[in-house]
Amino acid sequence: MFARRLAGHLARGLVMILVVTTVSFFVIRSVPGDPMAARYEKLVEQGMSPVAAQRAVEVLYGFAPTGGLWQQYVDYMSGLLRLDLGQSLMVPGVGVSTVLFSAAKWTVLPVLAGTLLSFLVGVVMGVYAAIRRSGRLGDVLAISGSLLHGVPQYVLALLLGAVFTTLLPILPTSGTADIMFEPGFNAGYIGSLIEYATLPVLTYALASYGGWILAMKSSVVTVLGDDFILAAELRGIKRGIVFRYVARNAILPLFTILALSLGMLFGGAIFIERIFNYPGLGLMLIDGINNRDYALMGGAFLLITVAIIVANIVADLFYTVIDPRVRSGEGAA
Amino acid sequence: MSVTPEKKAPGVRVSGLSVVYRTSAGELPAISGIDLDLVPGTITGVVGESGSGKSTLALSLLNAVQPPGRISAGSVEIDGLGDVVKLRGEELRKARGRHIGYVFQAAQNSLNPLKTVGKQLLDLGRSHDVADLRGLVREAKDLLGRMGMDGARVLDSHQHELSGGMRQRVGIMLALVLNAHLVVLDEPTTALDMITQATILRIVREVHEERGLTTLVITHDLGVVAEVADRLAVMYGGQVVEQGPTMEVLGAPRHPYTQGLLRAIPRLVGDIDEATALPGRPPTLGTIPERGCVFRDRCVLRMDVCETEKPPVVSLGASIALCHAVEAAADRDGRADIPRAGGLQEVVGAQGATGVHEVRGEQP
Repeated sequence: MFARRLAGHLARGLVMILVVTTVSFFVIRSVPGDPMAARYEKLVEQGMSPVAAQRAVEVLYGFAPTGGLWQQYVDYMSGLLRLDLGQSLMVPGVGVSTVLFSAAKWTVLPVLAGTLLSFLVGVVMGVYAAIRRSGRLGDVLAISGSLLHGVPQYVLALLLGAVFTTLLPILPTSGTADIMFEPGFNAGYIGSLIEYATLPVLTYALASYGGWILAMKSSVVTVLGDDFILAAELRGIKRGIVFRYVARNAILPLFTILALSLGMLFGGAIFIERIFNYPGLGLMLIDGINNRDYALMGGAFLLITVAIIVANIVADLFYTVIDPRVRSGEGAA
Repeated sequence: MSVTPEKKAPGVRVSGLSVVYRTSAGELPAISGIDLDLVPGTITGVVGESGSGKSTLALSLLNAVQPPGRISAGSVEIDGLGDVVKLRGEELRKARGRHIGYVFQAAQNSLNPLKTVGKQLLDLGRSHDVADLRGLVREAKDLLGRMGMDGARVLDSHQHELSGGMRQRVGIMLALVLNAHLVVLDEPTTALDMITQATILRIVREVHEERGLTTLVITHDLGVVAEVADRLAVMYGGQVVEQGPTMEVLGAPRHPYTQGLLRAIPRLVGDIDEATALPGRPPTLGTIPERGCVFRDRCVLRMDVCETEKPPVVSLGASIALCHAVEAAADRDGRADIPRAGGLQEVVGAQGATGVHEVRGEQP
């Protein structure tokens, strides 16, 4: 049962990856501006012979594309089969996977921290907003949630950046760590890392907090209206136990959203990274696009796709653990 | 029976009970000034259309009227508990489940979908400080077994693995397992098929007799009442318009509403057109008349006095009705015994344990 479910997911995931890779391969290469051709023409203009210019370009980038677009596509796909994402153009001579990997650590940890932080706080506040929905506390929580949910990430980032550079200059607003510390596993460097990550994490958490509180509030309100909650109260079940009934049932639908937003880990923080000059995947992707680094773009898109597919699979399998209705495969609504 | 009930069936006296619901148009009465006695050891049926206030009445017995509703007047005296309306907090919580069992409508999902029945049984036991949880499980299995189910399997199941009839029996088990002696069943057979309906009613009757309970059955189905109830209360527009021994109320209905209800039932044999629907619609929360009789708009016996005066309580035989026309007819016949005093007590005396079997005997 479990294995068959997993196998089905994997098969669908592979098809999805194939489609996304193919589409992004051709879309990326239809963007005007070929960096190798540009470099080659520049060298020729500077008086180099065509052959010498071609060789110079090859030396610079470490490889030369051969054949037409279809030939390149076949080469690219067969490279993917060997988990080879190709060569970066922006950082000549370096593999795309190396570039991606070095940038990913600056995205995954802060975004993960921001997501989990906002999830925990948002869910707890959502419960309060639901229970106190006819009082002032509920109003304040719901309205603040709606406001934060409505403000775009980059506005929040600019706002926080402005506040912490002018009014309250206690937190660094650019970079990943103070250069006076030796990178490595030492207290000073790690402390500095945390200090520099605070604003990006805080911005990300604030930007997603509104969504969590609103989702949890409506979920709790729905469950509170369910018959089995009244039934439990009429059986004299203790308040604490009834509360757990409500919480467990209400949080179920939020796990789907959580899994999907974890899938967005690799592509979700472009504005924040740009504004706080944080060298994560988002920033790298922007540079890659500006430099027409085809392989890097393709690799980044592939990474995002795989992450989302994996998140979906994890969410679905997680459900079979936490929701008995899914487990037995006859899910009554 | 594995458990010998140390508690006796409690009597319940509802008097002057009113419940209002807060709406944008102010507080509107859902039930107003209800007097109803549940005689110890009997099954009382409450029938009425949707919106007649019967579920509100049932919830009032546990002081569990849900906001925006609230009990605005009256009392619900239960032997051994006192006035439930005055109970608050932990006292109230402990009374629910332990003293008063409540069974939900089958179509409603009265179980937590994420937990097995057994785990919810343990939650129930812990909530009521049951020291012997193993004994509780044994008792639950015993009850389920007597209702024709595999107790161990059911306790190991989630709600979605049980059929409507099984869920309903689980609901009955949870209402009885703490040895509650007042049991309220809200639409116990709605949304169940005929066979399951009959089974559930048989179980209700059996358990009631074996455990010596006081039982209240809320339903819109006169057939259900005829099947199980010793006594019957007919509700309309938030009031009990007629009550008495089931046989008497169904056999010789006094109130024009009860008469209309009985005329509206299609028979299994004979012409379908013999059943005549009551004209008009029942009042809703906002359209219940403030003065006079709540039923007058649909009444064939309507008189001028019905517009302005609250109907009097008329006792006839063992039953009572709230109606001007019934009073006028009784005056003509010269056998009215107004005022109401003592009416219900007489009913108790007249109502033997055999009453229900007589009713059953009349069922086709």
